Formats: sequence, structure tokens, C-alpha cells
Amino acid sequence: MLKLADIKKSYRLGPVDVNVLKGVNLTVEQGELLSVVGTSGCGKSTLMNIMGFLDSPSSGVLYFEDKDASYLTDRQLSIIRNQKIGFVFQQFHLLSRLTALENVCLPLIYRGMDKHQRFRIARDMLAKVDMSGLKDHKPTELSGGQQQRVAIARALSGSPSLILADEPTGALDAKVGQDIMNLFLDLNRNHGNTIIIITHEPGVAKQCKRAVRMRDGMLYED
Amino acid sequence: MILKNIFIEALRSLWGSKQRTVLAIVGIIIGIGSVITMVSVGTIVQEEVLNQFREMGTDILTFTKGKETNTGRGLKVGLRLADSLNLPESCPDVKNTAPYTHLNGTLKFGGKRMEIPALGITESFKNINKLTLTEGRFISDLDVFMYYCVIGEDVVKKLQKLGVTDLVGTKVNYKDRLFSIIGVVAGVSENKIRPGDINRGILIPVTTAMRISSNHEVEKVIAKLTPKGDGKAAVSQIKRYYKTVANGLSVQVQTAEELIRQMQTQMRMFTLLLGIIGCISLIVGGVGVMNVMLVSVSERKKEIGIRRALGARQQDIRRQFLAESVILCCAGGIIGIMIGIGASYVVARFFDWGFLISNIAVVLGVTVSFVAGVFFGFYPARQAARLNPIDALRAE
Repeated sequence: MLKLADIKKSYRLGPVDVNVLKGVNLTVEQGELLSVVGTSGCGKSTLMNIMGFLDSPSSGVLYFEDKDASYLTDRQLSIIRNQKIGFVFQQFHLLSRLTALENVCLPLIYRGMDKHQRFRIARDMLAKVDMSGLKDHKPTELSGGQQQRVAIARALSGSPSLILADEPTGALDAKVGQDIMNLFLDLNRNHGNTIIIITHEPGVAKQCKRAVRMRDGMLYED
Repeated sequence: MILKNIFIEALRSLWGSKQRTVLAIVGIIIGIGSVITMVSVGTIVQEEVLNQFREMGTDILTFTKGKETNTGRGLKVGLRLADSLNLPESCPDVKNTAPYTHLNGTLKFGGKRMEIPALGITESFKNINKLTLTEGRFISDLDVFMYYCVIGEDVVKKLQKLGVTDLVGTKVNYKDRLFSIIGVVAGVSENKIRPGDINRGILIPVTTAMRISSNHEVEKVIAKLTPKGDGKAAVSQIKRYYKTVANGLSVQVQTAEELIRQMQTQMRMFTLLLGIIGCISLIVGGVGVMNVMLVSVSERKKEIGIRRALGARQQDIRRQFLAESVILCCAGGIIGIMIGIGASYVVARFFDWGFLISNIAVVLGVTVSFVAGVFFGFYPARQAARLNPIDALRAE
């Protein structure tokens, strides 16, 4: 469903060009649970931004659901992010002004879905991550693990083809991190979600069916 | 659907930072408030002036001696009393005239001295100026050279303070001559045609006034047109009349219509000037809103990044911030309108004018604040929409 062919990305930093990705090839199949492991600064965040349509590659071709999606307009990228991708971030990135339920609704607002339907879906998603009881709490009233569950519910609310998780356990202690990891495993195994987890923890990578290692802008299968 | 959500989101976000919202709004409130006050007061004043003319009638004109007086040869002749009284006979469009002259002097009574003006008038002065008496009788044309006076409301108050109860028949000393009070005139509003000293001073026979001041001319003549009289025709008749009878004397005539037109021009200038001041304060207020919105954008970079990651288009972000600035400005505008109406009410009460709410002012206020919201919100909203989602997400 996602195929990267010789993806390169370079940034201009003052007078020099910094090559962050130096020709990445990767194929992700429907229903896979893949981890991308690497030390910080190796380019895995850039890779995630490109796979999440937050950024465009400098060269190379990106196929999404068998279509060339390398060079899209901002509007097209927004639509793909809204309908095809679910993001889970290390720092959760919930809006503190909104309740858990409203945070989960957020992606659906940009689809123009009516309030009634939005809230129904959001309630279902919170139930899926075992957060129904805390739906009216604001993020500041929740623990890190609880916030990450809400963030996962938000990623799931748009029923995306692909869930991209950037260090999802990075800000959590070991036990809570494992709970979140179990949630991902469950979503993949029992609900068939395609999930890519970006991590620097080998323990997380080990639990995924497939792991690739990123080093110095290149990707290697484990 | 999305628009409704954007609106609700904007309200919540503004409510979430109340202090900033209030600060942003203050400038707009002052701007719109002053524009509304100015337009309203302008309308009220204009209405008030027009009301005066409605009261006096527009079939009235006044004239004085022109700047270049006698153009004929021989003796220079001024605005003589007899000429002005005989004028209606030669001018078919003029019904009657009320010539008057003006004196300043000291009135002494009961050991007190007061500086008051006196108007030397004829009997016709009463009807032309729509005066009414509360006591006694008015000056008659038979009171030639008599030391009689009719007193205005201010003088009444002063005399009552000195213990006078029976005003009519009381004798007062004015310019060292003893005058008998024969009547009391009711207070009247001042306007461009009515001489202003009716309330403040005393009215005496014009012949007496001319004798006291050793002046052979009257100062000004008020003329009333016949029911079917034409203002323009009357003006040329009067001018021709003085050319003939007064050795080429030129007169300067002001018709009521002309006065109204002059006043309207003045009002327009006044409104324009105040409007400009209002606009300047509105621009200052708008820049304040823009500043607050820019701060808000940079404070909420992360939120913008999250929304972009979740699929918000640039357009959605732009609309969200634009909605905030429009709501800010419109809220400021509505408060400003209320304050403006309140302020113009206070002004109207203070000057004793009839209060009215100018519809134009209200419509103008709402429109201007909406436009200001869009105008001053556009740049910050565009900045927000153009943020790179990755950079925005990384922002703290």
C-alpha cells in the first residue's frame, strides 16, 4: 500500500546542502506492523514526515495505494493526511483547550462531518482504547499514558489506511509504554490496522513483525 | 458545516484568552464608539438646526448694510428706519419688516448693577420672531421715544432675586434713563435669524434706542414674505428698493434657505472632520487587533501544526484566524455602537437637544467593524496558513 522508491531529501542549511535521506526504498503491505529503528539524527523523522505527507521528497517516487503521490499540492496533501493517515506523536499533541472527546473529533471536522456523527465515531474510538470513562476530561487532567490513548483514538477516528507513530512510547515510563505497545499490537492483530512505528528503542522494534534500521540516510532490513 | 465549526472554535479560543481578547477589543471599541458618537451628534445637531427653522418658518430673510455702501453720488445714506418700515409698500413679495438695533449698557436696580444688552425694536418684531408674553404688553408702534421696556427671562430671574414681585410697572435704570417695565417676554431658543439677546436683555422702542445711541441707522432688518412670496424675487426687490431710496445703498440679504444651506455645508465639514478622527482611531484599533492576532498566531504555532497534521487545509487555518479577528472586531464594534449611542445621548441631554439614534451610524458601525476585522485579520491569518506544518509541529 505504501512504496518508497529511491526517496531523497536534502535541506539547504546556509551555504551547504544537507542530504538527510540518500535513496530510501521501502514497501509496506496492507496489515503490516513495521518499526523503523535508528538513532536520533539518522533521518527517521524526515522519513516519517514524507510517509505522513507532511513533507515532499526532493527526488524519488512515493506510491500510496498504488498511485504516485510524490509531488502533490498542499491541498491534496491535506486531504490525504485527513483521510488516509493517522498520526501518533511522542508528545501526544492534544489540544489542551478541548476535551478528550473533542480532540478525537478533530480530524472529522475537516471532513465536514456533522456533530452528531462525529461524536458517535469519537465515542466508539475512545471505547476501543479503553478511555470511555474519561471522555470529558481535558488533556491536562489525564496521565501521559491516558493522553497517548486519546491520541491513538484520534488517529483511528478517521479510519485511516495507515497509522504513523513517532516514538509513541518515548515520553512514557516502561510499564505504560508497554500498555500502549500492546494496544498497537492489538489494533494490528485484531483490527487489521497498518501501523508504522518510528522508534529508537530496540525493545519496541522487537515486538513488531518487521523492523527496518535506518542509518545515515539509508534503510536496511533487519 | 465547517464554517459553523470554525466560528465556534474561534469563539472558544477567544474565550480561552479573555485578557488578550479584551485588550484587543479596546481599540476597536474606542474607534467605533467615536465614529458613532460623531455621526450621531452630527445628525442630532443638524436635526436641531432644521427644527429651529421649522419653528421660525423659511419665509423669513434678514438684511444688513452691504460692505460697499453708497455707490451713488452725493450724501451717503445708511439703513434708515423709515426706509425699512416703508419697504413692504414697494416690494410686493415682502409682507412686513422688523428693523432693530442693538445697545449695550448697565442696568441699575436696588443698588445692583448688571451689564445687559438692549434691542431697539418695533411692534412687528413680536410676530416675526414668534414671541409670546407671559405678562403685560409688548412694545407698540405708538411708543415712540417712550422709556418703556419689555424684559427677557434672564432679567426676570435677576430682578426676582432682588425681591421684585410685581414686574410690570417696576421702574429700572438703564443707561441712566428710567424705564418702566411694561411686559415680560417668554424665553425663546436662539437661532440664526432671531437676535440672541431676547432672553438676556431688554426690548425697548427702536426710536428710543436710536435717540440714546445718537445713531440714525438700524442695524439689521428681518423681513417676512407674503404667503405666496418668492425668496429670490424678494431679494432683488429689496436690493432695487434701497438703490432707489437710499442713494444707491447696497444691502446684503440672507434668506432662510441660504442659511440652512450654509449650515448644512458647515455640518458636512464638521462630520467629515470628526469622521476622519474616528477613522484614525479605528486604524489604530485595527492595528492593535492585528498585533494581537499575530501574537496569537505565534503562540499557537503548535496548534496550527497539529491541525495541519490532522488534515486542516491552509484555507481552514486561514478562515479560523480570520473568524477570530472578525468576531473580535464585530464584538468591539457592537460595544462601540452602544457606547457611541450612550455618549451621543449624554451630549444631546447636556445641550438640551432632541436625541435620536442615527440608523446610518449603526449600519456604518457594524459594516466598518466587519471590514476592519477582515482587513486587519487577513495578514495574521495568511501568516498562520502559510506556516510549514513540520516547523509548526516542532514549535514550543
